[in-house]
Amino acid sequence: MGGLPANRTVNGFAVVDPKIMYVAMRDGLFKSTDAGETWKRTGGELKNLAAVAINPKKPNEVYVATMDGKIYMSADAGMKWKKQQ
Amino acid sequence: MKGRIYYLQILMGLGWILSGSISLAKEPNHLLPVAATHNDSQKSAVAFEHVHTLGIDAESRTLFLGAHTGLFRRENGGRSWRKVALPASVSHLDVMAVTPDPKNSKTIYIGAHEAGVLKSADGGATWKEINSGLGGVDVHGIAIDPNDGKLHALVRDKGEGIYRSTNGGGKWIRVDDGPGGEVKGLYSVNISTGMGGIFLYAPTAEGLKRNPDCF
Repeated sequence: MGGLPANRTVNGFAVVDPKIMYVAMRDGLFKSTDAGETWKRTGGELKNLAAVAINPKKPNEVYVATMDGKIYMSADAGMKWKKQQ
Repeated sequence: MKGRIYYLQILMGLGWILSGSISLAKEPNHLLPVAATHNDSQKSAVAFEHVHTLGIDAESRTLFLGAHTGLFRRENGGRSWRKVALPASVSHLDVMAVTPDPKNSKTIYIGAHEAGVLKSADGGATWKEINSGLGGVDVHGIAIDPNDGKLHALVRDKGEGIYRSTNGGGKWIRVDDGPGGEVKGLYSVNISTGMGGIFLYAPTAEGLKRNPDCF
């Protein structure tokens, strides 16, 4: 197990397919494809994240919210992101 | 198989364990400045202050956002947010958790500071408090089992612990102490424990923790 930043709060969590998980942290967005055993940062420069959600109908569509309320969406499971407001 | 069962018994014995991190230190929980967005239809500003959570209903029609300033909704494909009216007994609702039922797009649960659990059975139009049996009303997480709809609610401060409901929130029974400390949410993850249950995951100030839900 490993890959998440040490000494950090995990603010948000999302899962649909039980193997594929995302966590939202101040350090950014992290993704696991093995049910949380290992984690890799995804989402480029995204930081200060409060929450993450997965579209249950389109699991590649992922939303994050920053703590101050900016919303970003990825249509490719976390690779590319577009600010929504 | 025998080894896997033994491993799970060890997990049970240890209680809530960290997933993917071994950190124990705590990060300060800063409040950040207010951001404003605009409701195009009403030309009024909607302020999000300290966002806590996002949730999407089962048919992906609505994105819900829980924040220090309440519950907001945005229809799929739209760009404008509307504040959701909540009939709480307290005037100010800090929405910590939004949990749409994965099998029924009309059913949404939210957890809030000082108001416990609220449920909507009509897609978020009307809400009622469902706190019978909860030892406290500072609810930070609501998990719904994707297999049988069983609920777990995480209560902090007074009555701290995890409460289970098997009738859609009609009655809650305390089943566990929970991960303790500053917990940010609670999620059922459809991974079998091999003992008739699945796992609960909890984002916390100490990292991501998990525990089998068969308390």
